This record gives sequence, structure tokens and C-alpha cells, in this order.
Amino acid sequence: MRDLVAALLQGDKRAAGKLISLIEDDEPEAVDALQRIYPHTGRAHVVGFTGPPGVGKSSLINRLVRTFRARGKTIGVVAVDPTSPYTGGAVLGDRIRMADTGIDPGVFIRSMATRGHAGGLALATFDAVRVLDAMGSQVVFVETVGAGQSEVEIATRAHTVVVVEMPLTGDVVQTMKAGILEIGDVYVVNKVDLGNADVLVANLKFQLAAREGWTPPIVRTAALEGQGIEELADVLERHAIFLERSGFRHGREVARARQEILETAQRLLVRGVSEGSPTGPLFDRLANAVADRETDPHAAARKLLESHPKKKRPR
Amino acid sequence: MVPIPRKIRVLIAKPGLDGHDRGAKVVARALRDAGMEVIYTGLRQMPEDIVEAAIQEDVDAIGLSSLSGAHMTLFPEVVRLLKKRGSGEIVVVGGGIIPADDIPKLKRAGIKAVFGPGTPLGEIVSFFKKAGKGA
Ligand SMILES: Nc1nc2c(ncn2[C@@H]2O[C@H](COP(=O)(O)OP(=O)(O)OP(=O)(O)O)[C@@H](O)[C@H]2O)c(=O)[nH]1
Ligand SMILES: [Mg+2]
Repeated sequence: MRDLVAALLQGDKRAAGKLISLIEDDEPEAVDALQRIYPHTGRAHVVGFTGPPGVGKSSLINRLVRTFRARGKTIGVVAVDPTSPYTGGAVLGDRIRMADTGIDPGVFIRSMATRGHAGGLALATFDAVRVLDAMGSQVVFVETVGAGQSEVEIATRAHTVVVVEMPLTGDVVQTMKAGILEIGDVYVVNKVDLGNADVLVANLKFQLAAREGWTPPIVRTAALEGQGIEELADVLERHAIFLERSGFRHGREVARARQEILETAQRLLVRGVSEGSPTGPLFDRLANAVADRETDPHAAARKLLESHPKKKRPR
Repeated sequence: MVPIPRKIRVLIAKPGLDGHDRGAKVVARALRDAGMEVIYTGLRQMPEDIVEAAIQEDVDAIGLSSLSGAHMTLFPEVVRLLKKRGSGEIVVVGGGIIPADDIPKLKRAGIKAVFGPGTPLGEIVSFFKKAGKGA
């Protein structure tokens, strides 16, 4: 096989596409490839978008891609849609809204299915972001599945989190999902062309407080008409500069690394004790011992952690 | 550990200017229900856009749908551009309203299969499954 990583570092999109698939399919080559890619990452500004289904995340990203291209930036997008829990299949439709970018050599868009990963993202999402970062994308947008707990995960992984809301029509009290007011660095009220935005904006303004020297701006947009997009792009650039100058970018990187190390260790452990692995038999023995009251679950867990499988696969 | 089979990824696109994509959507859903990941790119795509998307999405196969009669230029153009980009291994199939006479010509141009209206969905699904395995 051609050296995909070398090609990626030359900016080869085909290599990027193939590498992301290897990562998604959890192929053995992926670990090695990611190890080689890692030193070339850390340059891109990673911007996560979250918000309820249909609020306009893809449409906004589409507009922003064009705006940032006009400002001379190369762009990557990873857009996540849910996998059907029943069939394992997915229809990935975010690309429909991003058709404008077409064959622009400075844009790379990848659709991704969650493949059973909870949290509004796929397990492979941020490794895919790294692939695009290493390829040279200067800004990478991540679109989460706008439901469930997507906020939590995107908040620890992106540099800038954009929460997208839209005004509801009629006589309703618009309440925010729990946690949504804590995680946004930028709030977008989209679909202002439909009216009724003032209440939502006022409501947000009232509830949002400055955190660590940054007051989350609220930007009104109409993605289809392109209204408010320049302002949103300005705000994103300002936040990137703020993160850099304040040292928070590094802080976020460390927080992210912490979480990633823990998650990976957890996954390795789960794999290590699963059937067919060297630790499998020990796991079985311990399970029987716990059932027979020869030991307790806590002590058994410690034993399991202490046991080092002879031949470890770094997966 | 049970090995998880590699996911089959398919791009469904509708080149040309004709306006509706019901057939394409029905196929997209059938492929999803068979466990595949279907990237749907919507209407009015140019061959260049389709090929670019297929490379970025790293799909195993592309399903092209046409109702307008432009298939004789658009479908072979997709195959040609894929080869030019070094991605000739991506299987291209066509569907929609395509006169019987055109089918052999399309096949000679590298379109691996042509599914007319009324083709059982099961047949289309198993073709894509095979195309995905072969990649
Ligand atoms: N009127 C109006 N419609 C909009 C606006 N932005 C997006 N839409 C429409 O809202 C619908 C959903 O837009 P998307 O961009 O797909 O929304 P999304 O948040 O990416 O949706 P999911 O990915 O399904 O969660 C589409 O029909 C858009 O055309 C806007 O500013 N105004
Ligand atoms: Mg979307």
C-alpha cells in the first residue's frame, strides 16, 4: 500500500479520505498512522457546532466555509449524523447543505455516522479532525448530532463551541437544555428571518455570564440569506485569538488530552479483558471467584488491572 | 472479540438538472436499512462535485440517478474523472429512466450496472453489498 501518511502530509485528499476510513473501521494500521500524524497536528482551530436537529448547523457551516475561504483559510469539516441502532446503517445528509463548496481545493468535508457511540459524535470524530489538521486545514468545523448529550463531549474536544438555537414561534416559553448555557463560547440565534428572535436573544443575554474573561457573544444569523455570517466569522476569529493570548488554548488541550488518555485506557482495558485475549481466562476465573464469594468485585478489579497481558496490542 | 465487518459506504448523487429525487431517496433508505452508510448529496450535482465528494467520503460505490436523459454524458464523465484522480476502483452504477439501448453503451463506458424503474430493491441492495466487499 502507498504510504498514506506521507501523502496526507503533502495535502493529498484521497489519502485523507482513506485514513479516516481506516480509523473509523478501527483497522490495525490506524493506530500506527495516528501516531505518525500526531506530531503534525495542533495547528487547526477546531470549532464545534451543537444545537437541536434542523436548527441550521450545516447551513451555517456552509456559509462559514465560504467566508473563511474568502479570508484565505483552508477548511475541514466533519459532520456527524446518527447510525440507526436497528440496522447499523445511516443516511448522512449534512453534505446536501454544503454543496456550495463543491470542488474548492481548500475544502475537505467528511460525513460520519455515530456507529453506536453516545454523545452526538463518533468515536473517530476527533481522530478525523487530526487527519484534516495534519493535511493543513486551518479551521476545522465539527457538526454534532443535535440531540442527547452532544454538548458534553464537544465541549471538551473543540477549542470553540458554538451553540445554535432558533426562535420558536407562538406563545411558548423557550427553555434551554440543561448545561447548554455553560458550554457555549459563542451563541448563534439562527433563522432570524422567521422573526421572534428578540425574546430568545434577550433571554440568552440575561442568562449568559462572563467566564474566565470571555463573555459569550450572541450572534443573530439567517444562514440561508447569509445574514450575520461575517459577524459570526469575526467572533470565531476573536475567540481563537482570545484562547491563544490567555493561555486557555493550552489549558483546553491539556483537558482534552486528560480525557482522551482516560477514555483510551478504558477502551484498552475493556478490550484486554474481552474474550479471546490473554487476560480473558483470568477475567473468567475472577468472575467465578466473585460469584463463589472467594473474593469481592473490588479486589477482583484490582487484580485485573495489575495483570499485564504478555503480548499487548497497542489498540 | 467478534470482528466488526468493515462498513460499506455509498454515495448517492443526482447529476443533471431534473428536479426530483424520490427514487434516489428510496434507494438510499434501502441501503441504510441493509446496514450501509449512505452519503446523500442532493440534487443538481456536477460530475466534478460528485467525484470530489466520493474521494473525500472514501466510498466503495457511487449510485447515480438520472431522469433527464443526460445520463449518456454525465455517467461516463464520472467514471472518467474517477480514473483521472486515481480512484478508478470506486464502483459506479446508474439508475433512473434509461433507454434499453443505452445500457450496453454505459457498461462499455465503465458503469458497472444500470437499474431501471421497477428493479427490485433487493437486487440493488445485494449489488452494492457485493461492490462493497470487493473493494
Ligand atoms: N428560514 C430559514 N431556514 C433555515 C435557516 N437556516 C437553515 N434553514 C433551513 O432549516 C433546515 C435545516 O437546516 P440544516 O442546516 O440542515 O440544519 P441542521 O442543524 O444541520 O440539521 P441536522 O443536521 O439535521 O441536525 C433546512 O431546510 C434549511 O434550509 C435560516 O436561517 N432561515
Ligand atoms: Mg446538519
